[in-house]
Amino acid sequence: MDVDPTKEVTHQTTSSCSTMAGLVPPGATINTDPSNAKSKEDEKVDYFNLPCPIPYEEIHREALMSLKPELFEGLRFDFTKGLNQKFSLSHSVFMGPIEVPSHQTTDALKVPTAHYEFGANYIDPKLMLIGRVLTDGRLSARVKCDLTDNLSLKANAQLTNEDHMSHGMINFDYKGKDYRSQFQFGNGALLGASYIQSVTPRLSLGGEVFWAGQHRKSGIGYAGRYETDKMVATGQVASTGMVALSYVQKLSEKVSLASDFMYNYMSRDVTASVGYDYILRQCRLRGKIDSNGCTAAYLEERLNMGLNFILSAEIDHRKKDYKFGFGLTVG
Amino acid sequence: MASQPRRGGVSLPDRRAPKNTNPDGIITKLINAPIVSRGKQAACDAVYISKKLLRSTGKAAWIAGTTFLILVVPLIIEMDREQQLNELELQQASLLGAPPVNPTLPVPR
Repeated sequence: MDVDPTKEVTHQTTSSCSTMAGLVPPGATINTDPSNAKSKEDEKVDYFNLPCPIPYEEIHREALMSLKPELFEGLRFDFTKGLNQKFSLSHSVFMGPIEVPSHQTTDALKVPTAHYEFGANYIDPKLMLIGRVLTDGRLSARVKCDLTDNLSLKANAQLTNEDHMSHGMINFDYKGKDYRSQFQFGNGALLGASYIQSVTPRLSLGGEVFWAGQHRKSGIGYAGRYETDKMVATGQVASTGMVALSYVQKLSEKVSLASDFMYNYMSRDVTASVGYDYILRQCRLRGKIDSNGCTAAYLEERLNMGLNFILSAEIDHRKKDYKFGFGLTVG
Repeated sequence: MASQPRRGGVSLPDRRAPKNTNPDGIITKLINAPIVSRGKQAACDAVYISKKLLRSTGKAAWIAGTTFLILVVPLIIEMDREQQLNELELQQASLLGAPPVNPTLPVPR
């Protein structure tokens, strides 16, 4: 047989059918090339030892990281002071316009504001407590607590001086060997559950159901995620009419390109965006452009140890909306 | 007077005889000739279109330029800085003779 042994192995691995084994020359099975041996090993999937998938609400994590940086307008200054290993205090000042949705026009109104935020963090591997107080009266608290090795509790609460804007939510996350499930309880009779399961080492599929008693709405959603070393592709559909697809390609350790597509069946609006994410030694730079003609860039520059300089820019030519911000992060 | 040249425009052979006798009317006839008025129209159109084209290309150039300024210029600057740092490190490595341990870590997310 004049078949190249490497070719034969790939052929054998792609078709796991046992009838092919008769055609394989004996030399091909004893393989010295490690890469071929590995690809063969990969093919034999142990379906009882699949990796644990990432949580359902984080399936778009990589795409969101690259495409949705925390863009802001104005000045911000953040200072974090660690009092000891676990406890730290944070102070931050923000000055600049923030957008408030107005009822008369579709465009958001810009209201100039300035506020100071005080925060306290307690971070321990088993318990995380984060609290924030703003000068305009908003208060938020977050708790993450590992009850057992597999079960963890997450709670979020926000209190404001406006009516119907305060909310709270409790999540129970259960992490299994190759699946994760989550139960959500929120105010306004919000109930939700999600489950995600690894189907193959690279593919995980999940679903969610939720019921909002206050608004008398319920929904169901499905999501899938395919992940290799070089790329991540995710897709999500929900009965609210939302379709979200994302794709992230890691060109190297430092560079990744991301794109996403969002479609809402109810409001019939579609947006697609592409962006890049560069993680260099002294900075991290993220840029994106979307189908609405909105361009944004976010630069985090490391000036010194524990001193970061942030530049944020967003240009929307269609709405003639230009947002530029700069900030410093200390600590 | 205004209606006459329009009539003349319809029948060209009739106009040829009084053209020679009346030298004063040549210019007005020439101005009002259909070819001239069509040319004028064309020129007007050309100016209008070129103005519009210029404006739209200007706008496109503005959008492209600002987008470039936002997306690409910081990237070029940062890549250049990175390159310089790498070169510096390489120089130091060749001077000291030992491979340097990278003290700077990437920016935390």
